[in-house]
Amino acid sequence: MATSSASNWLHVDIEEDTPKLCSTLSSCMTLSDVQCDGYVRLLVADISLEDDEEPSAKLKVFRGLTLKHEQPLPGVPTAIESLYTDETEPKTPVIAVAIADSVLFYRHLKPFFKYTIPATDADELELEVWRKLPVMKPETHEGLLQLLKDVDHAKLSRKTQRLLQLTEEERAAFISTHKDSVVGRTGNIVAMCCLNRVSSNVSPPSHLVLATDTGHIYVLEPQGFNLIYQSTICNYETAVPSLISVHGTYETDFSIVVGTRNGGVYLLRKSSSEGQEIFKLSTPLTGLLLLPIDQTIVITTMEHRYMCCSKRGKQLYQLHLESAPVCILPLPLTHLGVTLVAVALQGGKVAFYLNRYMVDELVVPETVAGMLYGRMGMEDHVLTLITESGEIFIKILRRITRFEPDTSAAALTKKGLAVPQKIGDASILDKSKKSSIFVEQAAREKQQAKSSYGSFQMELWRLRHTAARATIDAINSSESTISGDLTHAPVKLAAEVCGSGPVFRLYLTVQNLSTYKMASNLALLLHADRRHYTIQQSVAKLPSVLPGIPLRVDFEVMAVLDAMDKLPPATLTPDNSQIRVMLMKAGQAKPLIAAVVAMPQSEAAF
Amino acid sequence: MGMLHNLTGLIKVKKDKMTILVLGLNNSGKSTIINHFKKSNEQSAIMVPTVGFLIEQFYNMGVCIKAIDMSGATRYRNLWEHQFKNCQGIIYVIDSSDRMRFVVVKDELDLVLQHPDLRNRILPILFYGNKSDLEDSLSNVKIAAALGLENIKDKPWHICSSNAISGEGLDEGIQWLVQQIRFALLSNRKGSKMKMVSKDIK
Repeated sequence: MATSSASNWLHVDIEEDTPKLCSTLSSCMTLSDVQCDGYVRLLVADISLEDDEEPSAKLKVFRGLTLKHEQPLPGVPTAIESLYTDETEPKTPVIAVAIADSVLFYRHLKPFFKYTIPATDADELELEVWRKLPVMKPETHEGLLQLLKDVDHAKLSRKTQRLLQLTEEERAAFISTHKDSVVGRTGNIVAMCCLNRVSSNVSPPSHLVLATDTGHIYVLEPQGFNLIYQSTICNYETAVPSLISVHGTYETDFSIVVGTRNGGVYLLRKSSSEGQEIFKLSTPLTGLLLLPIDQTIVITTMEHRYMCCSKRGKQLYQLHLESAPVCILPLPLTHLGVTLVAVALQGGKVAFYLNRYMVDELVVPETVAGMLYGRMGMEDHVLTLITESGEIFIKILRRITRFEPDTSAAALTKKGLAVPQKIGDASILDKSKKSSIFVEQAAREKQQAKSSYGSFQMELWRLRHTAARATIDAINSSESTISGDLTHAPVKLAAEVCGSGPVFRLYLTVQNLSTYKMASNLALLLHADRRHYTIQQSVAKLPSVLPGIPLRVDFEVMAVLDAMDKLPPATLTPDNSQIRVMLMKAGQAKPLIAAVVAMPQSEAAF
Repeated sequence: MGMLHNLTGLIKVKKDKMTILVLGLNNSGKSTIINHFKKSNEQSAIMVPTVGFLIEQFYNMGVCIKAIDMSGATRYRNLWEHQFKNCQGIIYVIDSSDRMRFVVVKDELDLVLQHPDLRNRILPILFYGNKSDLEDSLSNVKIAAALGLENIKDKPWHICSSNAISGEGLDEGIQWLVQQIRFALLSNRKGSKMKMVSKDIK
């Protein structure tokens, strides 16, 4: 139970000579209050893959450190989730276990529903073949099956796939037994996660997001067991998903990010029923996360890369990991307002990243195969690590831990640890933007290179000339809001007109932009057409303006109205309803700033 | 005259209020323990997680004890240190069945002991190994070993196993704590008296 005070994570000693082994993956671990007593238990699907036995799995429930319950599962699960189906009190969690093409629901650890995802329609040709097969002579079968060989193997139904593997002698028997069964494809669930229905308060009811190997994404509503959202990942090819990450709530908006087996990353939104490709990598992904706060996508790849991209596929940063990443996990630290990303590396190291900075790391004796973070037992911030050999490590975050990117990164460099090395190339994300217009234009430019260069240069010089002339004009007339005189402190002038007329109040704010120089001996002078505006006081001597402290001066301006009809004089047009404001310095003829304040149209005074 | 003074002194001690800080992780049974000490008509039947802290008063061994019942939830644990200055004793409640969190218990205890307000004070600490009725609860000795209590050299401490629901073991602990505080008060008073005397001489 000894802890090193330097570590941010308290290590929980298992205190047993023979540790309980559990071989599992991150997706087959969950935390749930299965007994509804407020004590969150760890649920793990222990998958046994012994050579001489059929692969089997057991659902194990741990209360704290002790194994409390164990029950066999009817197959090897791909994912386990704990979710609440409704808002009724007491809230009872439901455990969803995805096995092959169905999701098994357990309540109080007793099975209560099995949902099987719908079969997709079979290929027309395949249906035709199955219609013919039972009635035709066995000699013609070979020809029929030859037709099916042209169809993508993955798009055939399971029984056709099996039939194609059989020898000619076995076929007849197989056909006769299976001739009446439905020709349809059901995908296997390859990934599953929860999507909150409405808000993200404590234990909200949620839906299940299922990804199948046929490239479909379903959202299953676990009360009536209906599919409320369906989409395909990619419309032009079968993209087999392997990783999935969800953010948002079902009722308002959500986005699902899917990583496929061949390195593609797709984004699905509530509004569309088809995924859009964000980017594609040549190496397979090992982890994919959609981070909740800044909505960025974090991925780790087989070639030791840790990458963060925006939802549009723009690469934000990329780090090189010292060894192959095995799995990644988000650690939402709500009390600190940050989300860390834990990356388990080959060899037993777990690195914690805050954005691009590695803020912490811990080492376990062996490569970590599965990680889980959340409230366990009575403690909020518990990280459970399961190694490849099945040993369980439990780490608790210290209450006083703070993660700050810069200081901790600096501390890590001081310690002489490897600074995350940035990788420069971003070529994989560059998409060519060569439209037909672009190509044509390029061809034209090649032909008329000389003349197009000439005209470009001429236009460029003309632009520069115009810009230079405008600059000189502005300098000569001091007509800008910032003084351009280099010998004095730079001063900024801002104006604001209040009132609807005929009496206006003109607020002028003078600000010294210098960091140390004082702007002294300044005066403001207002100048307007006497026929249009009357200014009670047109000069104001300003006190010294200190750097950084704005000085606000106000003037009363009255629009001149005709005494008879109470209307402004006819000579006043919107173009000349102006007041010139000049910022003068004593002993200098040229104003520092000469600005024009456009006055609004005065309302007639009745 | 001196005797009368002593007597009033004693009475004064008896009337003295003692402030005790009750610490421990969430769900360890702090509020339940305090609830047990209260008069039977003031006791509440349902315990809910404390928010922030509560101040309760009860009489035990003729002493009026003001107990500051701190919340043990993670986000309120930073409030503990604000009460360190004005307390005369600490009760640290441990859920003896929650083995997983002994590391957290130890970590929080170390933070308490290392706090500048407490580090140089001689302050009695009473540990309750609560929930001793549960099947997987640890014994006193094991808890003391797990928390490294033998390393606390500068403060008097005592550990007793308790069951806050039935009240088993609670009185033994509080008696020890009251005695310790009384002892500390008396020696303090003597010390101050000595000082006064020495001032007079000057």
